[in-house]
Amino acid sequence: MIYGGKDARMIVQGATGKQGMFHLNLMNDYARQVGGSGVVAGVTPGKGGREVSGVPVYDTVKEAVEEHDARVSVLFVPSFAAGDSIMEAAHAGCELVVAITEHIPVHDVMKATGYASLKGCQVVGPNSPGLLSPGEVKMGIMPAHLSLRGNVGVISRSGTLTYEVMDELTKAGIGQSTIVGIGGDPVVGQTFVDVLREFESDPLTKAVVVIGEVGGNLEEEGVISTDLPVVAYIAGSSAPPEKRMGHAGAIIEGGEGDAKSKIMRIKKTGVPVASRPSEIPSLVRDLL
Amino acid sequence: MKLLEYEAKEVFGNAGIPTPKSRLISSPEDVTEALRDTGTDVVLKAQVDVGGRGKAGGILKADAGDAVNVAKALFSSEIKGLPVKLVLLEERLSIEKEYYLSIAIDRSAKCPVILFAEAGGVDIESAAAGDPGAVRRECVSPLLPEIPRFQLRDLTGSAPVGVKAIINTLYRVFGEKDALLAEINPLVVTTGGEIYAADAKLIIDDNALGRQGITVNRDLTPREQKAGELGFSYVELEGSIGVIGNGAGLTMSTLDLIEYYGGKAANFLDVGGGADRDRVREAVRLVAGMPEVRVIVVNLLGGITRCDEVARGILEAGVPHTVILRLAGTNEEEGRAILAQKGYRMLDSMDAVIRAAVEESK
Repeated sequence: MIYGGKDARMIVQGATGKQGMFHLNLMNDYARQVGGSGVVAGVTPGKGGREVSGVPVYDTVKEAVEEHDARVSVLFVPSFAAGDSIMEAAHAGCELVVAITEHIPVHDVMKATGYASLKGCQVVGPNSPGLLSPGEVKMGIMPAHLSLRGNVGVISRSGTLTYEVMDELTKAGIGQSTIVGIGGDPVVGQTFVDVLREFESDPLTKAVVVIGEVGGNLEEEGVISTDLPVVAYIAGSSAPPEKRMGHAGAIIEGGEGDAKSKIMRIKKTGVPVASRPSEIPSLVRDLL
Repeated sequence: MKLLEYEAKEVFGNAGIPTPKSRLISSPEDVTEALRDTGTDVVLKAQVDVGGRGKAGGILKADAGDAVNVAKALFSSEIKGLPVKLVLLEERLSIEKEYYLSIAIDRSAKCPVILFAEAGGVDIESAAAGDPGAVRRECVSPLLPEIPRFQLRDLTGSAPVGVKAIINTLYRVFGEKDALLAEINPLVVTTGGEIYAADAKLIIDDNALGRQGITVNRDLTPREQKAGELGFSYVELEGSIGVIGNGAGLTMSTLDLIEYYGGKAANFLDVGGGADRDRVREAVRLVAGMPEVRVIVVNLLGGITRCDEVARGILEAGVPHTVILRLAGTNEEEGRAILAQKGYRMLDSMDAVIRAAVEESK
């Protein structure tokens, strides 16, 4: 697994909001199930002193991480404040921020990820379902019951499509080491290249599924950068140009980032590309 | 959201970037009056949101003698299918040299990227393809307040000093306006040595429209607008199979599979997280409201989606269309039972539900 395991002590920023509370509980349910440290503190400015399901809430990230020796933050802060919250976490010494929040203005994301990187803090997301290492830790909102522990890594720009692929893999008896949702925005912290590098140094991971979509060329950069056996799938082959397909990053602009040319470039590197999600398990099995 | 040329020029002009003398007109009758401001040698530019506007006949030269007639012709024409409602009447510049300048976002470097070329004008894309060195590019750290001088030097080479000032100003506008793209092509140096933004493009980040004081995203059709207010991501397409999914990736993949199995999707609709009864009802009604739709596919997957709620939402929508579903989440059996009573089909896999819908649509 990558980005930490059972002993990862997490905080939740935006812990008293509806989403934050709901998923804090699910993350801790999972931690109890696997015997992990789970979420040890929450942060909401102005709500310090409260508790969410027995987890203490602080006004600042600094207090929360100092009191509880946490190094990971999972972020559910509303979009207008989220860029600032990422920087607050990085400044307070968090080594990993998993940003679930969507609709953050891209200028805020560039500044926040730039600042975090200066502080040596990795950012997964924003607009991400988080990450899940089956049997170890859940940082975010992925439905853990669809997963199965194993040795295939999954990297995706999407949420539910990732669950679809997890489900297909699990039903085929192919377990996963870590599933990482890098987020559907045009600018994200950890890219395919970064996550693949993490997988390369993970003894558990033997192959990786890359789930991309239209827009940009980060999938190709990732696939080219790694020696690991990879299977790819690219969503959006029927997407019209210049139309944003739900994700802020899923747009074919100036004739760039369309599915067909992406698929062609990936295939050129020798990496098999599935034509639909249900094809992925058999392509993965061929690699193992 | 894309701004039209005259709006972008207003933004650039207010920031201190010189633009040609101009008047926005909405009818040929305004021409005579406008010529007093602009002088008699002018260009008439249709304010329509299409690429390649000039080649499509949307930019015409005129002088005092024929300006009214040229305006009449332009107002009664269509540019790539779009009617011309507004025309920017602009002084014609005496061009010595044209540059290309744009600022965009580099996804890989996670920074604003400035592109500058000595050869501006309409064919910048093909010029760049023929000579990759023709377009210089510099990524600027988003943590810096302005462009470092050395990068400005590397970009502009032997271009006049005034060009650097304009790049600095455009960079400031790019940040202040939450832009995804700010472009001046061409940036013109006149025979008199003055520099002007002869064209202007500005695209604002949809996620920042609120703080930019923009309430209506004009890029959207009325139905797309309504969908946005309901919290859906929605795009209209041209087929006959209505699509409702949760999550952008899964919904996109649903459209791809429809194409794979030989069908045509009518739309993209992502209901977002927490697909409950009310949201599903509204989504079904919205999709059913498109005249071409003959069958609706609902593809919802998620740990916390309550299938019984979704089923009730479908019944409440009360649309006459065939609705075929794939639901995975909690209370699956209950949801299936509710729908089965009313004759709806619920299938187990994405492939199965889409194959069924494609057959139904034919």
